[in-house]
Amino acid sequence: MEYIEKEIKKGIEIHLIKNGKFKTNLVAVFLSMPITRENVTKNSLLSAVLRRGCMSMPTSEEINKKLEEMYGASFDNGLDKIGDNDILKFYMETINDNFIPQNDENMLKNSIEKLLEIVFNPLIIDGKFKEEYIEQEKENIKRIIEGKTDNKARYAFDRCIEEMYKNKPYGLYKYGYIEDLNDINSKNLYEYYKNMISKCKIDIFVSGEVDENILEIIEKNEDIKKLDDREPQIVLDIEKKDNILEKEVIEKMDVTQGKVVIGVDINLEDESQKYDVLVYNAILGGTASSKMFKEVREKASLAYTASSSYIRYKSNIFIRCGIEIKNYQKAIEIIKKQLEDMKNGDFSADDIENAKKSIISSIECIDDEQDTEIMYFFGQEFSRNKITINEYIKKIQKITKEDIVNVAKLMQVNTIYFLKNKESIEN
Amino acid sequence: MQIIENSKVKEKLYIEKLDNGLTVMIIPKKGIKKKYIIWGTHYGSNDSKFIMPGENTVTEVPKGVAHFLEHKMFEQENGINSLDALTAIGVEANAYTTNDHTAYLFECTENFYPALDEFMDYVQHPFFTDENVEKEKGIIGQEIMMYDDYPEWKVYLNALEAMYFEHPVKLDITGTIETISNIDKDILYKCYNTFYNPSNMVMVVCGDFIPENLLEEIKKRLIDKKSNGEIKRMYPNEKEDIVQEKIEQKMDVSEPLFSIGIKDKEEIGKEKVKKHIAIEILLNLIIGKSSELYQELYNNGILYSTPSLDYEFGTGYAHILITGQSKYPEKVYNKFKNTVNNLKENGINKEEFERIRKTIYGGYIREFNDPGDIARMFLADYFKGINSFDYIEEIPIVNENYLEQILKNVFKEEKMIISVIKK
Repeated sequence: MEYIEKEIKKGIEIHLIKNGKFKTNLVAVFLSMPITRENVTKNSLLSAVLRRGCMSMPTSEEINKKLEEMYGASFDNGLDKIGDNDILKFYMETINDNFIPQNDENMLKNSIEKLLEIVFNPLIIDGKFKEEYIEQEKENIKRIIEGKTDNKARYAFDRCIEEMYKNKPYGLYKYGYIEDLNDINSKNLYEYYKNMISKCKIDIFVSGEVDENILEIIEKNEDIKKLDDREPQIVLDIEKKDNILEKEVIEKMDVTQGKVVIGVDINLEDESQKYDVLVYNAILGGTASSKMFKEVREKASLAYTASSSYIRYKSNIFIRCGIEIKNYQKAIEIIKKQLEDMKNGDFSADDIENAKKSIISSIECIDDEQDTEIMYFFGQEFSRNKITINEYIKKIQKITKEDIVNVAKLMQVNTIYFLKNKESIEN
Repeated sequence: MQIIENSKVKEKLYIEKLDNGLTVMIIPKKGIKKKYIIWGTHYGSNDSKFIMPGENTVTEVPKGVAHFLEHKMFEQENGINSLDALTAIGVEANAYTTNDHTAYLFECTENFYPALDEFMDYVQHPFFTDENVEKEKGIIGQEIMMYDDYPEWKVYLNALEAMYFEHPVKLDITGTIETISNIDKDILYKCYNTFYNPSNMVMVVCGDFIPENLLEEIKKRLIDKKSNGEIKRMYPNEKEDIVQEKIEQKMDVSEPLFSIGIKDKEEIGKEKVKKHIAIEILLNLIIGKSSELYQELYNNGILYSTPSLDYEFGTGYAHILITGQSKYPEKVYNKFKNTVNNLKENGINKEEFERIRKTIYGGYIREFNDPGDIARMFLADYFKGINSFDYIEEIPIVNENYLEQILKNVFKEEKMIISVIKK
């Protein structure tokens, strides 16, 4: 694997990941900017509208036909939050030319051009997006927002974040707000798009059997040439956590199984401690031999799912489990005991070794998957110090029990969110 | 070892049937760090009625035993949980149960052979006690309740309910809280001894290996067990008709979920693959991303993402499922029927057909990126009597005539059902 970065204009970077072991090539374009209540709904709608058509392929039907011609190239787009930033993501994956029966076109070049066109040269009619697309996609976004309660586990997680970050950027829902859709129209969204595209951070990734010619293909691309230098305003800092009282939020819905999500704040003294937290989290709830899995699921037989995840760009840990509703108090007790045990250093040298091995093994596999590898390098754009995969592994290896206990002491439960059924009786 | 090479996707399959009946398949992948191994038994939730080798009487066990066994295999006599032991050496282990097979697996970058020790040890040494069986009922009970909250799962099960009178494919893989309450350690041992015999099992490995060396390492770790002969599985005689055309359930969903099903018959031999490909192509022509129908439904706000298109089949069953979300499932259903009829009348458009075929070919090639995907695919296909390379080989053979024949024989209105979940 070889990784090449090139800033072609200020704020616009190309990242080439040469890796010959895949059947596919993957191209990705990421647009990043701070997330705000004002823009989150616009970005969500924009992401959907861009997918509908560009100047040379003005309908989804034409885009899809073109993709099918390219041996089922897949185009995908989505929204992501990284810390307090909103990311618009666009992907195109094609099979590598080596596996095409009649090799008559350069599929990689073709897919780069198509993807850049979809993002940077959208279908504009009389200085506006196509009216029909705006209306249809508004309806679709509305449905997505209304549908956020469908997956109860996901909903509980989103709600816990929302409660923890009330009136703060990270508490915003990435698909936006229904009440904000009304004021958006084909004209003002296009104005917004022009402004956004001239200011946002742009990252273009190409992964697979690639060579330096790709740089030239992108740099000489007409859609890229018309972009100007910019000073991207992405947010790298993590705000200091306020010392707050632990809060409990209980919501009722039509569920059979209760969903518990506990949001934990971590006030790191030093940014390098994030590696310690990674090991801490693996011991707490990151693996199948973690405390959560062993104590909550296996020993207490309380849950089928019991895990924790570390959101490093916000310095939070989220503990999640699905439990029988009547066992709520008991589950909280056991979970809190695990947090206490971590603080008291009540875990073994084996636990540490296991956690490290599991983390290192996943680091080693980063370049076995194209999307994972892209996200790894993209994530580095949001860290102040970039490190290689080998340095990353070394940092994990060096972590001691003391380091883990030190971060354990920085953990502060912020919110306990519980989603339960409508007619349950307290006990 | 026998070597099967596929020049299109540029991969090789090494395959060997050992003396004890175990089939081992190895797909070497140079340069990939991840190593993936999966060991499956041809025993799934459908197999609750059978005749054990050497016996004459039928044995019937509660629904959900295959899945229960899967949960209980990790516990060892010395008190060790193999899942922990494997995690402890940095490998990720897991297991799953389907309608027709149960599989144990792990993936890793380092420590493959120490992990293989533990892995092959636990799958070959069950340890069930009254206590550990009772305790598992709580965990599985939670799992069953978790699925109760998944409308996607309910819409699927209801679709099967509408299609099948008796075939066990329509039942929950986990069983129900009621059926699992009847499971005890004797039942588990009986099913283990019947189905976890090497002759009923297949091991698939994918990663950067020298196949011959790996095979020796696997042999070393096998305990002495003889091939136990044929297991007779009893499946009910399923009628060709559907049970009911429409089935509906209320759940708290923002917008209705639907699943349109078409009941079909199981095909035999190579024909399975060809038919599977033809159905995939037809479904894409009818309601795929670039189809006229999908565009129309999207533009009218009836669908807002492409439904998932599946063809599922196994011993004694086969069906098509088109699953999605829509405010107006009935409209989707009616339009779908109309489009099928129009296609029957007007025939297949050559250009569209070629384009979809390219897409599906590309999809098959993609399946060969990830060692885990590859190993799971070879295993699942094997239990259906298919070599996964066949799909790549058969795709150029499928032509318009064949498509039209499948369209006529499979896409019959009287075999269609719709399952809906709504508020």
